[in-house]
Amino acid sequence: MSADIQQSNPILEIKNLTVDFGGVRAVNDVTLSLQPGEFVGLIGPNGAGKTTVFNLITNAIQATSGEILLNGKSILGKSPDQICRLGISRTFQNIRLFPQMTAYENVELGLHSTPHYSLAEAFVRTPRASRVEKQTHQKALELLEVVNLREFARERASSLPYGLQRRLEMARAMATSPQMLLLDEPAAGMNEDECKDLIRLIRQIHESMKYTMIMIEHHMNVVMDLCRDSRIYVLSLGSLLTVGTPTEIQTNPQVIKAYLGERKNG
Amino acid sequence: MELFIQQIISGISIGAIYALLAVGYALVYSVYNFTNWAFDAFMAFGAFMALTAIASFFLPFWAAALLSIILTIILSVGTEKLAYRPLRMRKAPRLFMMISAMGVNLTIVQLINRSYGGTFRRFPVEHVQPIFVGNVSIGRMDLLAGLISFGVLALLWLFLYRTKWGLGIRASSIDIMTASLMGINNDAVALIIFALTGVLSSVAGIFYGIKYAVYPLMGLITIKAMIASIVGGLGSLPGAIVGSMILGVLETLVSGYISSTYRDLFSFMFLIVILLFFPNGLMGKSGEEKL
Amino acid sequence: MGYLEAIIILSGINIIAVMGVSILTGYTGLFTIGHAGFMALGGYMSAVMVKEFHLPVILALIIGGFFAGLCSFIIGYPSFRSQLRGDYFAIATLGFSEAIRLVLNNTKTIGPLNIGGAFGYMNIPSATTVPMVVGVLIVGLYLAHMFVTSQFGKNCIAVSQDETAAQMMGVNLLRTKLIALFVSAFYAGVAGGLMGFYFAYLSPSFFTITQSSNLLAAVVFGGIQSLIGPVITAFVLIAIPQLLLVFSEWRLVIYGFLFVIVMIFRPQGLLGYVEMNMNFARVLWNKLLRRKTVDVIEG
Repeated sequence: MSADIQQSNPILEIKNLTVDFGGVRAVNDVTLSLQPGEFVGLIGPNGAGKTTVFNLITNAIQATSGEILLNGKSILGKSPDQICRLGISRTFQNIRLFPQMTAYENVELGLHSTPHYSLAEAFVRTPRASRVEKQTHQKALELLEVVNLREFARERASSLPYGLQRRLEMARAMATSPQMLLLDEPAAGMNEDECKDLIRLIRQIHESMKYTMIMIEHHMNVVMDLCRDSRIYVLSLGSLLTVGTPTEIQTNPQVIKAYLGERKNG
Repeated sequence: MELFIQQIISGISIGAIYALLAVGYALVYSVYNFTNWAFDAFMAFGAFMALTAIASFFLPFWAAALLSIILTIILSVGTEKLAYRPLRMRKAPRLFMMISAMGVNLTIVQLINRSYGGTFRRFPVEHVQPIFVGNVSIGRMDLLAGLISFGVLALLWLFLYRTKWGLGIRASSIDIMTASLMGINNDAVALIIFALTGVLSSVAGIFYGIKYAVYPLMGLITIKAMIASIVGGLGSLPGAIVGSMILGVLETLVSGYISSTYRDLFSFMFLIVILLFFPNGLMGKSGEEKL
Repeated sequence: MGYLEAIIILSGINIIAVMGVSILTGYTGLFTIGHAGFMALGGYMSAVMVKEFHLPVILALIIGGFFAGLCSFIIGYPSFRSQLRGDYFAIATLGFSEAIRLVLNNTKTIGPLNIGGAFGYMNIPSATTVPMVVGVLIVGLYLAHMFVTSQFGKNCIAVSQDETAAQMMGVNLLRTKLIALFVSAFYAGVAGGLMGFYFAYLSPSFFTITQSSNLLAAVVFGGIQSLIGPVITAFVLIAIPQLLLVFSEWRLVIYGFLFVIVMIFRPQGLLGYVEMNMNFARVLWNKLLRRKTVDVIEG
């Protein structure tokens, strides 16, 4: 990914992050750091703790110890909605769209999760509020356009095919105007062709929107392609195994061993 | 001083009844993450069945109690199968399950109301002299209720912690999906839990009926049990017992020393205050959602 | 004529309260079995404002509504903050409502104020008329519609469908729920006030769990995420039993049974997700004329 990576202050720093669930240490002393605009991969066998790391960043679960810094400031203990407003958005491993809302409404929600007018204006719709509504409407349609879902705007989210749902989740996440986008297995359940389209879409989004992105993926060809100019973190059993370029990762004996018994695509 | 002890004893005896209900409630909640609103109805049902068995069919007390327990078990398990399971299988939202449970509650309580009328009835048990310890009187029924409640809870504890079935239930309360993947029969778990619910609610109903009165809306006392369970920590069984005892005693003290009018208001305020300082209850485990 | 008037007023009052429950339960997904309590709070407060302080009726109704709304924070704030959320809130609504009823039942006087306790608050000025109820109803319906179609309302809907996802996308759960609760309590409070001014009398026995169940029933049967559904259902539920008195004795039993049936077979209710808007009206109109509809979004 040819993003201009300034060697400035990191946008995200995770230091010695650890979380225990009862007797199980799901994430163990993980440290990583991202520069603004980077696109990194996060891979590892099932149960390695990848989604847990995302959950920790967004504070869906509380860390047991360690530190998470966004633009130098700690976001530990902030509520998930605060963290979203601070600029981190995500998609989910098990898709979490609003099932009875249309595709359009799902995306729109990301735009107005913090309403842009006051409660009083909601009851008595002032000209300003109407204008805001129109603008939001436009932006939602644009976002649907970006992920090629414009024609499905009025479809109920739950009735969309799986692959389209994943794209919709991305559009919704983008609607929150994040600085950082966390994608959790965006290619899950996709075939070869769909993966190719997805790679193109994600690359396009990254280049035009300049988000910092972390992507969890099991489809190796997707990861290796999208991270070819960047690096990949490998997690195994909660700990950071190694980090490196796609080539390094693919030939790393430890990584191969961690995946032994797990045959994935690519 | 004696008045104080008297109040404490009275508080403990009502606390015991709350404990039976709170544990039943916590049991269902901890496994299914669901508030069984029909619990209210089961309790009234149990009390009325026992009452009818004694008053209309002249069964002796213990036989009537046993019959009532069996009937309530059938009712409870039936409710689970017909009104809850279809929704649970569909992974219906929490709201829908609550509405269904409330529906069951309404139906049963109002059927009882229609059939028996709303008058307060007394359980036809002989009035026996209370036991005196110094100047403090302990009603025999209260003592019996207390002993039996603790007995039932002790049996429950033994079941949960010393038997294979109990292990299955405890596993289910942590993660029902994993438990079923490990070979635990979900249908059996549901059967056992709701059977237990039936037992706990009917026993509580009978004791409450004896101590106070039997009337269609008597199940409202389950709100107190729910409050106690929340205070103790929703989903925690020991918490439910602790919460019930605390609530029972405090409530009785308020009723005795301040005013019985404000007893219920107090219980409610107590709940709010506790939650403000302990958002998960005193001993609660916070539920982690799987993302 | 007087009979028709009674039906219009009583169903109007009911519909106003039901709109409140709809906003909270239908749109935000929060189960409540305690809105009778908010009706009581609003009712008594409005009555006191007019009877003791001689305020104009409309102002008194608004004050009553606000009072009920403010009181809603007592249960809203601790519930929504804690992890126990949905279930605790539901239990709290029941406990709160019952506590209010019991306190009112046992309180004859508050300082110099005599509210009658179990005998009820008597000699409230009779001020509710058909025009007043219809007027409040129309305004209320309009405002409710504005709310549910606003960004606030849409956030409520998202919360009802997946609150964790909503939170991850930036929705402040506490604030959203408290707003929905406040608005719904306000509506119930106004309805309570109108009730007091109609009967010229208020009694704690008006505000029982049965009353709360009736309100909930209108939303369950009428439809989730819809205003028009519960509104129509609320009207029908009041109007019909008046005509079938025998039926009304078994009403609650039937409601209870129907709750379960509806949840199993048609959980979205009669007109769930159907909203009154130009699109709905247009679709309906075109269906009647058998014409094809043009999509509003693509316009």
